[in-house]
Formats: sequence, C-alpha cells, structure tokens
Amino acid sequence: MGLISKLAWRNIFRQKRRTILTILTMTGGFVLSSLAIGWMEGSYGGMILFFTNHRTGQIQVHKDGYLDDPSIYDIIDDYESIGDQIEAIEDVRAWVPRIYTGALIASRAQDAPSGIYANSAAASVIGIDPAMEQNATDFSEQITDGRMLTASAADTSLRATGQILLGKELAITLNVAAGDSLILFSQAADGSGADRRYIVTGIVSTGNTELDRTTCYLTLADAQLLFALEGKVHELAVMTTSLGDVEKVTAEISAMTDSLGLSTASWKVFAKEFYNGMQADEASLKIMLAIIIAVAALGVLNTILMMVLERRREFGVMKAIGTQPKSIVKMIVLEANVMGLVSIVLGSILSTIGLLILSKHGMILDPPLDYGGFTFREMVASVTPGCYWIPAVCIMITASIVSLIPAVKAAHTDAAKSMRKV
Amino acid sequence: MNTNSANTDCANVNTNNVIVTRGLKKTYHDNGIPVEAVRGIDFTLTKGEFTAIIGPSGSGKTTFLNLMAGLDSPTDGEVELSGKLISSMSGKELSNYRRDHIGFIFQAYNLFPVLTVEENIEYIMLLQGIHKKERHERVMKILQQVEMEDYAHRLPSKLSGGQQQRVAVARAMVSRPKLIIADEPTANLDSRTSGDLLDMMKKLNEETCMTFLFSTHDEIVMKRARKVVTIRDGLLYNTDKSREE
Ligand SMILES: Nc1ncnc2c1ncn2[C@@H]1O[C@H](COP(=O)(O)OP(=O)(O)OP(=O)(O)O)[C@@H](O)[C@H]1O
Ligand SMILES: [Mg+2]
Repeated sequence: MGLISKLAWRNIFRQKRRTILTILTMTGGFVLSSLAIGWMEGSYGGMILFFTNHRTGQIQVHKDGYLDDPSIYDIIDDYESIGDQIEAIEDVRAWVPRIYTGALIASRAQDAPSGIYANSAAASVIGIDPAMEQNATDFSEQITDGRMLTASAADTSLRATGQILLGKELAITLNVAAGDSLILFSQAADGSGADRRYIVTGIVSTGNTELDRTTCYLTLADAQLLFALEGKVHELAVMTTSLGDVEKVTAEISAMTDSLGLSTASWKVFAKEFYNGMQADEASLKIMLAIIIAVAALGVLNTILMMVLERRREFGVMKAIGTQPKSIVKMIVLEANVMGLVSIVLGSILSTIGLLILSKHGMILDPPLDYGGFTFREMVASVTPGCYWIPAVCIMITASIVSLIPAVKAAHTDAAKSMRKV
Repeated sequence: MNTNSANTDCANVNTNNVIVTRGLKKTYHDNGIPVEAVRGIDFTLTKGEFTAIIGPSGSGKTTFLNLMAGLDSPTDGEVELSGKLISSMSGKELSNYRRDHIGFIFQAYNLFPVLTVEENIEYIMLLQGIHKKERHERVMKILQQVEMEDYAHRLPSKLSGGQQQRVAVARAMVSRPKLIIADEPTANLDSRTSGDLLDMMKKLNEETCMTFLFSTHDEIVMKRARKVVTIRDGLLYNTDKSREE
C-alpha cells in the first residue's frame, strides 16, 4: 500500500463519528435512488407489458393513414402472408390480425319472449383470431365469466349464429350474461346492411373501464363475414420477445411493409399519450434523483470541508516536509472514494432487501391509478442492473467532485501560516 | 563551558557554507498596513554549526526561518543553499528542496497522528523513493540514536511530549538534510526534558556534522548553542555568547 493510500485509509478510521455520518449520508442517497429507480422501472416495465400484452401489441401495422383517421375501408389485403413474413423476423414472439368496426347491439334476456329486444347500445367491434390471440396475448385471462371464443366453423352454414364476447360494463348496459343472445346491426364494407344473431360466450374485464363499456369481440371469421371483409383485416399487432427489441423489430417490419402502402409503428407512436405520460414521469424521476444526490452531496461536502479545516495544520506539515500538493489532493479524494465504495456496498445490500420486498409485495393503489386508460391496482418494484449501477456511478462521481474542492483547498494550505501559533 | 569547547570533527569542515542570505527582507500586509518582519538580513551558516537565534516575541525569528526553509518567499534579497538560489525555484522545486535539504522540528512536534513512530520517520524517505530495506535500517539506527527504539510501533498520542519531540528530531534527521531548522523546539517541554533533548541533539550534531539552526526564548537552548545570534525588529545582531551565560 502506498504512503498516500495508507494515510487515506487510516484517516478514515480517525474521526469515526464523522466517517460513519458521511457513509450513512452516501448510503442513504444510494438506497433512495436505487429504490426510486427499481420502483419506476418496475411500474413502467409492468405498465408497458400490461398495456401491450393485454391488447395493443408492441408494434402495429396498418394501412397508411389508418392511425390518424381509422376507417373500415383502410384494409390490409393478403394479411396472412405479411404475418408469416413478420413471424420470420428474429425477436418476434407472435402476431395477431384484427378487425375494428362499430355496430349497434340489441339484446333480450333468455326468458323474454322471442322478438322482444329490451336493451341496445352502440359498440366497437373487434374481430380477433381466438387461437392466435391465445398464443400471443393473455386476452383469455381477462374473461371473467363464460369462455373464450372458439374458432368459427369453416362451414358458413353452421355459423348461422355467431359467438360474441362483451366487455363487462357493456354486458351490464345490455343486461345480458353468458349464454344470452343478441343481434348486431351495422353496415358492411360493401355498403350492404349487416345484421346477425350472436350468443354471448363470455364477459371480458380488461381493467380498462372505458374499453369494457364500449367493446365487444367477434371471431375474425365472423367479423369478416358480417362486414364483408373476407381475407382482409385492419391491423396486425406484433409482440416482441422483449421490450428492448421493439425499435429494431419496428424498423425491420417497416422496411418490409412500407412499399405495400402500409405503416408500421411502435407503441411509443400508436399509444402516444401513454408514452408521453411515461416520459414526463421519467423526467420527474430524474429530477428526484438529482435532488437526492444533491442533498447527499451537500452533506458529504460539509463533512469533508470540516475535516479539511480541522487538519489544516497537518496539511501544512505535509507540505513543509516536502509532500507535493497533488498527493494531498489524491489523499483526500481517495478518502472520499473509499467511503463512497463502502456506501455502495452497504447501499447495495440495503437496496436489495428493500427492492425484494417491494417487488414481492408492491404497493396496493387505493384508489387505483388510471394510466393510459388502464387501471393499476398494484405497483411493484423490479430489480434491474440500473438499480445498482446508476446510484453507484452517481455516488462515485459525487464523492470525487465533492471532495475535490476541499482537497484542492487543503493542497493550497499555506504551510507557514498553518503552523503559526494556534 | 565544556559545551563551548566541544566542537569536534566538524570544525575541520567549517569551511563550506550551508546557507547564505543576502539583504533578506519580508514585508507582510496586515489589513493594508505593511509589517516589516525581516528588514534586510545578511547571514551565513557553515556546516556543522549549532546556532540559536534569539529575540523578543514578534522580532521576526519564525519569518526568518521560514524564508530560509523555502516555506515563505522573500519580498527582497536572496537565500542560497549550497550555492543554489532558492528564490528562483518553482513550487515543485521548492517542495523537493524542503524534502531533500531541510529537516524540520516544530514547536508542537507535529507528528502524523495516524502513523506510528516508525512510519512517521519513514515518511520523507518514502517521498524520496528510498528502498524499503534501507528505510528500515535508517529508521532503526536513528531510533537508537534518539533512544526511542522501543517505541517504533507506537502512535504519537501514546508518547510524552519529550518522546514525541525525539521522534520529530529523528524524522528531521533521517533524510540527511543539509540543514535542520527548529522553531522553538522546547517551548512545549519542561526544563529537564528540554535539557535532555538539547543534549541529545548536540550529541547528534557532533556525531553527524549536521547543521542545526534554532529559534528560541529558552535559556536551556541558548546555553547549549555554540553560537547565538539575536534578531530585534527584523534585524540580526551577532551576540557575544559569553555574555549570555
Ligand atoms: N502572515 C502574517 N501577516 C501579517 N503579519 C505577520 C504575518 N506573519 C508574521 N507577521 C508579523 O511579523 C512579525 C514577525 O513575526 P514572527 O512570527 O516572525 O516573530 P517571532 O520572532 O517568531 O515571534 P515569536 O517569538 O512570538 O514566535 C510580527 O510582527 C508578526 O505579527
Ligand atoms: Mg515564532
């Protein structure tokens, strides 16, 4: 161990109370930052996954202009071959085709006399492929009553009656339950009138009340039949293996679809409000981190300045007997960095405990938090590398910068003056 | 006095000058008011001298010593150590000058509290880059010379003032500087300890021919000094040693 390191090391144990105070200040800064990051990453990661896996996918393909002004006529032809090409891309987990239209729904209770329709509501109709949905999203987990749609029979004559899923609030409005039947009225893409009878196979509760009040689901085949859209869809929703792959996969799909008059967008674009809200929250996280670090830095600066003041004579002696000023700077910065390292070790242990608790138990949100149209009832932290390396880097940089000022001051100690009688 | 006649082998090498000052001046500014602490001192110290500077408080002793040690820069005049002008040195050169040529003994001992006796003495040799084996040998030898060999691993806080000052003497001498400067080395010690310390230093001076320069108010130091000069109001006067006793 070099002379300067030896001095630095021993000085740390000299004023134990102040050392402990400094280390605790830095440890506190570390733990607070770490928990804040873990919390944010947990809730964001959770939110994005929840949001995209439950419904939207991470990437969507539409006809050009569809996102700005959705229309039943903005269709994707030959969607199955495009889907197959998308599926071949690395890091694509799954894709699903969808149809979006609207209809008027009229219902009657099972025990009511036939031909009497007591309730009606306007609704968005989403056509989904049950098997592909099963494979791609956790849509079926959101069915709280009844069962998921089954693949429509290939023989259209057997499809005299279709299957329908209703959003929870929509079912209440229509006063129907699983097993009841209802009729959809709409206009098909070819301009003809469309109407058909459906049996309610199940009730969907997505957690998004607005969505569940206005949405019903048909099988893709039923929707194509009703709206005269055979072989056509409005949207391809793509799920990637991880959130980190989204941008890359979006670019690859874009390259493929741009020439076909189609547009490809990631969730950051098609769920702009959700994304912007998250960005704003992330900015406030950064401000919070900056405040935590600044408070810790001030505390550390204060104790190091005090230390430098108390040891003024010693620095004077060091200089008098021929120590270079830069060695004094090195010694003090080293002292701060060693305390920083101890704080990081200590902070990592405490943060891990805290993060594990928060990731297991989370926080029950009461009242629930509405975010991007979804309702979150619980938020949990997630333990990511960022929970450690970001606070660690902050602590080391802070320790170095904050000690540099007193260190340079110490190195400039006037040896002659510092040894004048005290 | 036998102390006066004890100049041994060093007398033979008295021909070379260790330090020379010419027209040395230092003016401080205290809230804009100039304070002339040193007002033009011509002074020569030759090898092996054991000299005390005396003078009333505020007469300029510390200032004069600091100028010679390169701890303070003169307003005017020059300091020459072994033929080299220190006024032309850069900060780094001055730092090395003090490390290699000046040994300091302070009134308040000023040992590093976190280092043991041995480590305190090693310090300058580490700065000088002296090899571990030689460091150890020199530390052990000098500790014997100051009769502190049993305390090598103690921290300064576990030593008496007199013992600490012996370690400080060892620290000052171990790097074999050309000049040892001691500003009131006995001011914090009782008279018996002071006498013992001075006797020890004088013995070392005789054995090693190292040059010692003290400032002091202390009769005990004056009595043992081989030469005494007086500073009054920033000016130096040679003193007839016999009159002091
Ligand atoms: N940094 C300074 N600024 C202003 N004046 C100073 C400074 N240092 C010393 N002086 C003044 O210079 C004069 C000489 O001071 P110096 O310390 O050299 O005296 P001294 O002989 O060592 O005194 P003492 O015996 O009390 O130690 C004094 O008047 C002192 O007040
Ligand atoms: Mg003085």
